[in-house]
Amino acid sequence: MSRGSENTDDEPPKWMSFRSLLVFSMFLRVFLIVYGEWQDAHMEVRYTDVDYIVFSDAASLMASGESPYKRTTYRYSPLLALLLTPHSFFHRSFGKFLFSASDLLVGWFIHTILKERKVPEKICTYSVMVWLFNPFTFTIGTRGNCEPLVCAMILWIIISLMQGKLAQAAFWYGLVVHFRVYPIIYALPIILVLDSQVFRSDQKPPLEDWNTGQTKTPTSNTEKKTILFNLLTALKSLFSRERIMFALISGGVFLACNAVSFYFYGHEFLHEALLYHLTRTDPRHNFSIYFYHIYLHYERQFSAVEKLISFLPQFTVQFALVSCFWQDLVFCIFLQTVAFVAFNKVITAQYFVWFYCLLPLILPWSRMKLKWEGLLCIILWIGAQTHWLLWGYMLEFKGLNVFLQLWAASLLFLAANTFVLVKIIQRHRFSPLFRRYESSSQKHVKKLH
Amino acid sequence: MATQLRRSLLTLIFICWAISSTSSDQVGTSYGDSDQIRSLCISDRFIMESYFTTTHTSLDDSEFRNFLLHQQCSSDKIPSEHDPNIVPATSLIQHRNVTGEGSHRNLLTSIKLLPLYLEFQLQELVILERLPLGVFADPFELQSIQQRRVFSDVSVFGDTNLELPSFRSNRSVVEIHVEVSPRDYENGEISLKLPLHARYQPLDDSGYSRVEFGEPDLFLCSSHVQNHQHEQRRCLVLSIGRSKTETRSVFWDIPAGIRGHTEYVSALTFAAAVLSAISILVASVLSSKVESCKNSKQS
Repeated sequence: MSRGSENTDDEPPKWMSFRSLLVFSMFLRVFLIVYGEWQDAHMEVRYTDVDYIVFSDAASLMASGESPYKRTTYRYSPLLALLLTPHSFFHRSFGKFLFSASDLLVGWFIHTILKERKVPEKICTYSVMVWLFNPFTFTIGTRGNCEPLVCAMILWIIISLMQGKLAQAAFWYGLVVHFRVYPIIYALPIILVLDSQVFRSDQKPPLEDWNTGQTKTPTSNTEKKTILFNLLTALKSLFSRERIMFALISGGVFLACNAVSFYFYGHEFLHEALLYHLTRTDPRHNFSIYFYHIYLHYERQFSAVEKLISFLPQFTVQFALVSCFWQDLVFCIFLQTVAFVAFNKVITAQYFVWFYCLLPLILPWSRMKLKWEGLLCIILWIGAQTHWLLWGYMLEFKGLNVFLQLWAASLLFLAANTFVLVKIIQRHRFSPLFRRYESSSQKHVKKLH
Repeated sequence: MATQLRRSLLTLIFICWAISSTSSDQVGTSYGDSDQIRSLCISDRFIMESYFTTTHTSLDDSEFRNFLLHQQCSSDKIPSEHDPNIVPATSLIQHRNVTGEGSHRNLLTSIKLLPLYLEFQLQELVILERLPLGVFADPFELQSIQQRRVFSDVSVFGDTNLELPSFRSNRSVVEIHVEVSPRDYENGEISLKLPLHARYQPLDDSGYSRVEFGEPDLFLCSSHVQNHQHEQRRCLVLSIGRSKTETRSVFWDIPAGIRGHTEYVSALTFAAAVLSAISILVASVLSSKVESCKNSKQS
């Protein structure tokens, strides 16, 4: 989001205040939930996501003392079924209200994080609107998808770190990785950012404000060397108190949740909720460039070498992003999430929510102007998706053999993702989340002299 | 003598009616093809439930036929052939077709029942659709159809994994229960529309894989009494379907991957992944910044 205007302290109009946006968003979601119930009862095409029916059935099974994994395709933590058990005695749309409330909570957290970093109110409001009024996000919760819950947990972890509440952050991190495996990719940048020079668990860490570092220039050769230097410095003190504490608490919570789930549901839980996600390959068409490759080889198993080779691009990108951007934690995890989804063996539309919730947090630091670079990125990304969907429609609803065209469309989608990612990186104003304690004390020493 | 004459007359009328009712779409079988199996006595709510609770884990047509043989009622429960009140029951499959486009279609079946007088009440038509490998029925979709009272009962047996391709899955059976009334005998057809979905097919150089549908098994059963789980239900066998239809074949051509694409699809997929990874890597290295520069500006 460009900061073209000189007067960045302008307040937005009253009707656009955060409170009124939140209230309006709440009414919108309630309306959609009620409308969804009507559509399900009166139309052949249901509004409710198939996944919600899976969650509800699993919750009903759990409420009657049975395993939620008796419900085929339930591949989540038993915690989710437990959260939804009230739907058996309240109303079947209880879960939708819970997920939509999480959705609103994400909006609240976005606002909190940006205000903590002293982002002007107007830019805060626009950023929050990117989440609250994104058609994809307000339908996903109201249709009964649980991703807003995960997003809320991740933003809460960021808030906890910003407030210096290490144990709290670690607890929720262990829980969210148990709930949904993918946040494990954030482990390395979080551990790196808990450098004792920037983070001390007994005090609130100083945050890098939005106003500082306005005149950063692109890297020189000297700066390239110091990327490696900074990384090595951070790794040298890898076993600091804060890092060990974070690892122990989050690891402990993760293992405890898994142990309890295993105690109640045994191997079914392990296979459906954990191993399935780690080993999932789906030959059916999806946005991933790998789907047709997997389908063409599905009659034989992949060798270990082939699996390793296919994992290399993902691993390389994740490592590169963490190495370069770990200090700017929010930006780093945003890039990691986009790349993780783009290079994954299976991509479904619900995965996009994982980075949609982080996008508003990086927009205030972007030099990209909506006209026309921003619009170009939006059009390319949506256009590539739409192109894929057209071929998908031909295959699934017209029964035409267009596997090759669909696979080519997935290659184009990867190209669009890469282009947008590169543009975001190029236009980002690097801004570490925490200010270094060392530099503050050095300033003080200089002043005394 | 008079009774035998009446039976012969009824049989003759039936034969004439059967011949006159034959249409170009008729693919049905009749009572005579299943002359080894007349009636079943089952203790479960569903016929297939009994099949899968025994040693059978997957559907095999010959095993299923043997299973039916073993489910026959003992002789004292079968109405006497000499009873003047008994008329052989029968049915005709008038029409059978797969309609719709794409991976989600409907199997349409029209069944005509003939008038029936029996000692015991048979009020439920039971249809067993033994689906071929390559298609499946969604149990949850069928549940919602049942809730709309299209069928009185429906269940899916066998391989109910919705995600596996056909070469990694087994067959499944859909058992549909439809309540019948005297009006159904008078008015003619009972139409069934069963929604089906295609699995991913084995690779085929032609780009399509053909799935052929046989005929359903038809039974007339007494209604299941909810609280009497151990009471046996009596089912009259109307027809045991063939694996292929008699006159016109009913099939579904499903898109399949082409083996010839394998090498270059794999090569280009990896090339694209590597190229994208390199682009992101280069952009990251060129664009990343050092925090210490910012602090020194502030001092």
